[in-house]
Amino acid sequence: MPELSIRTENLKKAFGRTQALQDVSFDFSAGLLHGLIGSNGAGKTTTMRLLAGLLKPSSGTINYFSGGHPAAFSDLRPGLAYMPQQASLYPDLSIEEHLEFFRDLYRLEPGEYARRSGELLEITRLAKFRERRAGQLSGGMYKKLGLMCALLRSPSVLLLDEPTNGVDPISRREFWELLYGLAAQKILILVSTAYMDEAERCSRVHLLDAGRLLASGEPRAVLKETGAASFEEIFIKQGERK
Amino acid sequence: MPVSSFNFYRAYSVARKEVMHVLRDPFTLVLALGLPVMLVTFFGYAIDYEVKNITLAVSDRDGGPAARRLKELFSSSGYFRLVETGPGGPVGMLDSGRAAAALFIKPDFSKTIQGGGAVETQFVLDGSDNAKAGAVIGYLPGIQRAGQARLAGREIREPFSFETRFLYNPELNSRWFTVPGLAAVIIGLLAILLTALTVAREWENGSMELLLSTPVRPLEIMAGKLAPYGVLVLAGVFFVYLVSRLVFGVPFAGSHFLYLAACLLYVTASLSQGLFISVVTRQQQVAMQLGIISGLLPSLLLSGFIFPVESMPPFFRYFTMLLPPRWFMAAARGITLKGADLGELAVPFLALGLLSAGMLLLALKKFKTDLE
Repeated sequence: MPELSIRTENLKKAFGRTQALQDVSFDFSAGLLHGLIGSNGAGKTTTMRLLAGLLKPSSGTINYFSGGHPAAFSDLRPGLAYMPQQASLYPDLSIEEHLEFFRDLYRLEPGEYARRSGELLEITRLAKFRERRAGQLSGGMYKKLGLMCALLRSPSVLLLDEPTNGVDPISRREFWELLYGLAAQKILILVSTAYMDEAERCSRVHLLDAGRLLASGEPRAVLKETGAASFEEIFIKQGERK
Repeated sequence: MPVSSFNFYRAYSVARKEVMHVLRDPFTLVLALGLPVMLVTFFGYAIDYEVKNITLAVSDRDGGPAARRLKELFSSSGYFRLVETGPGGPVGMLDSGRAAAALFIKPDFSKTIQGGGAVETQFVLDGSDNAKAGAVIGYLPGIQRAGQARLAGREIREPFSFETRFLYNPELNSRWFTVPGLAAVIIGLLAILLTALTVAREWENGSMELLLSTPVRPLEIMAGKLAPYGVLVLAGVFFVYLVSRLVFGVPFAGSHFLYLAACLLYVTASLSQGLFISVVTRQQQVAMQLGIISGLLPSLLLSGFIFPVESMPPFFRYFTMLLPPRWFMAAARGITLKGADLGELAVPFLALGLLSAGMLLLALKKFKTDLE
């Protein structure tokens, strides 16, 4: 799979009278771990859904690139994986049944499935729980299962909407370890989070506030530019200005 | 692009997942297989158009042999239970609902008849219950005919008389008529309910968003949802068939294959209706309520199950043409009782086919446009 990148220009999305996104231009370059940072209602989920093709922008464009050349969304779609923020798995199906269901939807070869699922179960350390139903998994395990379903087909773009929300600190750290491992495989990862301490874990951050893009770039560069000591400070200052 | 075209295998995997849900949810299984049989048995016994045990208040001011014979005729018909009262009694009994009809025999009834004359006898009915009054009226000509000869003591030649015979259901057994119709009502309701819940559950569960981000297409999701429930409902149809044959002794004059074809069309239309509700409401609770209302009322009241379509006002007569249960009712009764063939049932079949295709397209279109 060639490297994929996504650029948006003056993206706007309104739901009725609510402006969820106002004129945001993102540059999600290939092979990096991007963080979409913002509090609840900042427009993170809307951005994710727009990028995943589940919503249409009110105005502005989303451009997809494959190996540096413009590509149609439909060509990219098979390589795009999305993990919604809300619970979206089937409580009555086990881990293994989820993997098998997504194997069938992605139409994976038996050999590839065996290799891939083995790998994923090992790095998520869920192998011994494969018989357990999703409804009986802990918060962290549940998120990992969602990630496994998304990763099963080796995507080139991975959109994760608040994957660490409501997960205990140890499981959160484990989850980020997993993401580092994936970033090393040259895939474009976009993680949204409301935890400011997680911003520093990303290679690029995009700060969203009330549907507007505050800043984006390398975490340290962004801090230097804004003269803030932490990302929290940037958001607090922004709040005071209003 | 292979992704955008229908892939049978992906539809099959959605169907297989649906089967797992059903197998793990005993409620759905019981609903699908047990409920139709239970309802058909229960209501098959309860709904009976034949009116029996009518309390007839009699005021006999004659007391002669002819009056006695007339009363015997009523009681031996098997439909009436006679209660003798004084001249003022019947009205009070009708008023209070203790009697449904009253018979007044004049003082010189026997004498007039023995003398070869004609006499009128008043028969009063409680008109507040149309159905009962209609049925009771229907019994009178038979009693009158049987009475002519016996009361007068000689053969009476009428200028002409009707020689009636009931085709297809010689004894007018009302269960032969109700049970196939009841089956139609229940099967339709079941199919609507089962699918009304399934897509709504997927939305409520949040899994629809995940599904839509995978290569699976809306059409594949729909097919994967419809197929397992279609099979489940057809299994319900089979059990209902067994009950109506074995418990109620309903005859089956026509082709089983044709009946199956009619069921398939009707089930498809009902499943699609449920799917449409599910797509529109996206909530299980609301979908369930809408499913029950839209599945039960038209098929009970406007399909010809209880009230004949022919006697409805013109607007409703045309309106019923849009309702699959109306056509299935016609096809099912035609096949089971009359043994009608496809040629004779061309109109119901064509209408069912069109309606189920239309309903399916409507659900699909709504599903697709909602997502885009």
